[in-house]
Amino acid sequence: MRKKTVAFIIIVFLMVPLCVYAGPPLEAVKTQVNKVIDVLRDSSLKGEAGKKVKREKIRNISENMFDYTELSKRTLGQNWSKLNAGQQTEFLGLYKTLLEDAYADKIITYTDEKVVFGKETTLSEKTAEVQTTIITKKADIPIYYRVIQKGAAWKVYDVVIEGVSLVSNYRNQFKEILLNKTPDALLDTLRKKVGKA
Amino acid sequence: MKLTAYVLIMLSFIFIGYNRASAEQSSPESQTVISVPQQETTPPIEQAKPAVIVEPQQKPAERQKTAAEPEIIEEEPTIQIADPIRPWNNAMYHFNDKLYFWVLKPASKGYSAVIPEDMRIAVSNFFDNVTTPVRFVSSILQLKIEKAGNELLRFVYNSTAGVCGLADAARADLGIQRQEEDLGQALGSYGIGHGFYIVWPFFGPSSLRDTVGLIGDTFLDPVTYVNPLEASVGITAYDEVNTVSLHIGDYEDLKKSAVDPYVSIRDAYLQYRKKKVEE
Repeated sequence: MRKKTVAFIIIVFLMVPLCVYAGPPLEAVKTQVNKVIDVLRDSSLKGEAGKKVKREKIRNISENMFDYTELSKRTLGQNWSKLNAGQQTEFLGLYKTLLEDAYADKIITYTDEKVVFGKETTLSEKTAEVQTTIITKKADIPIYYRVIQKGAAWKVYDVVIEGVSLVSNYRNQFKEILLNKTPDALLDTLRKKVGKA
Repeated sequence: MKLTAYVLIMLSFIFIGYNRASAEQSSPESQTVISVPQQETTPPIEQAKPAVIVEPQQKPAERQKTAAEPEIIEEEPTIQIADPIRPWNNAMYHFNDKLYFWVLKPASKGYSAVIPEDMRIAVSNFFDNVTTPVRFVSSILQLKIEKAGNELLRFVYNSTAGVCGLADAARADLGIQRQEEDLGQALGSYGIGHGFYIVWPFFGPSSLRDTVGLIGDTFLDPVTYVNPLEASVGITAYDEVNTVSLHIGDYEDLKKSAVDPYVSIRDAYLQYRKKKVEE
């Protein structure tokens, strides 16, 4: 009786870590990041034309990887409600273009850097943080992906590079603009920024 | 049998405990329930206009949507810093910006055209090795004995196996990273706040606290004690050009991605320093 109980306790305790570290967030990030790496290492894509194809492919991956609605909402925070439905849609599109333009160019300069996947931490019931490290010649750069569960999938809603959260960084910028300007003025600034004025 | 029941009760406590722990973890993300008031969804200009007849036609649909599911927008707390000397900071931001594009970048580009990347990394490693006292003392002051030990070990290993610190052999062979510690972080770990934001010409973003730290760091940096002063300044400038040559494009990317580069840099500095202090 006693032996059985002890065995039961042990088994249950072994199961607890499985509940805590379910793994899907890490798997989701891993799959998408590896897809990006495959594109970057594709030696058949060379020169300017190759770069263009690479950029397009990465854009497609990012579409699946990120939840841009969640990202936009979190970036504007309480200011999100100051935008009407039309403005929200436009903001989402412009913000997405801004991020893609800024980061796609940066990412395709990477070639022989290695990505190491670290641990996964639960932030809340539906959100988690996946730690990764990019190993460059000079140093290791920690990049953490914050993911949220949407249906069966886990989507990225924030990227934290060296402790700097992308969403928080933009939120502070937009907050200052919205402090003394209207949402329309903010959209106009964004339009100019991404060249869609 | 009694024991099994007891164990089950215990386990249920553990699970409840776990759930509570995860709830606590999520609590810093302040949840704000926003049930969008109708006036706010319409632009302020339309409010002023007496075009009341047109508006209600659009409203019901929107109202239904918001009434059915009040939107929950999660928001991580942002960190803020006082910026009372913003005009000065702004001027210095522009000064440093020009300094980069007109002086540092061309110099670094010319330099990197002559010196291959591997050699520039070696130079950077050399300077990192020389400034070990800064990181060692800062670790000690925070009673981070392991970090201090790692720095000491790195210094000995890199100075010998790494040939005078030119190679970061400790990272490659032993897997020991440079411990990024400085006096500003030590002060931060004592619970001293930033004070306010300061942008220094040449040195870039800083704060009252980190400026004090930076002055202390200079005293711990052997390069400071090089005679004559011109040589010391020259070495520092060379170190800077070498560092920039390894990071050409980073500042441009930051500016390109930012909507307001001044605010973006200020926030990035704060977030970065916060993480460093916590580590």
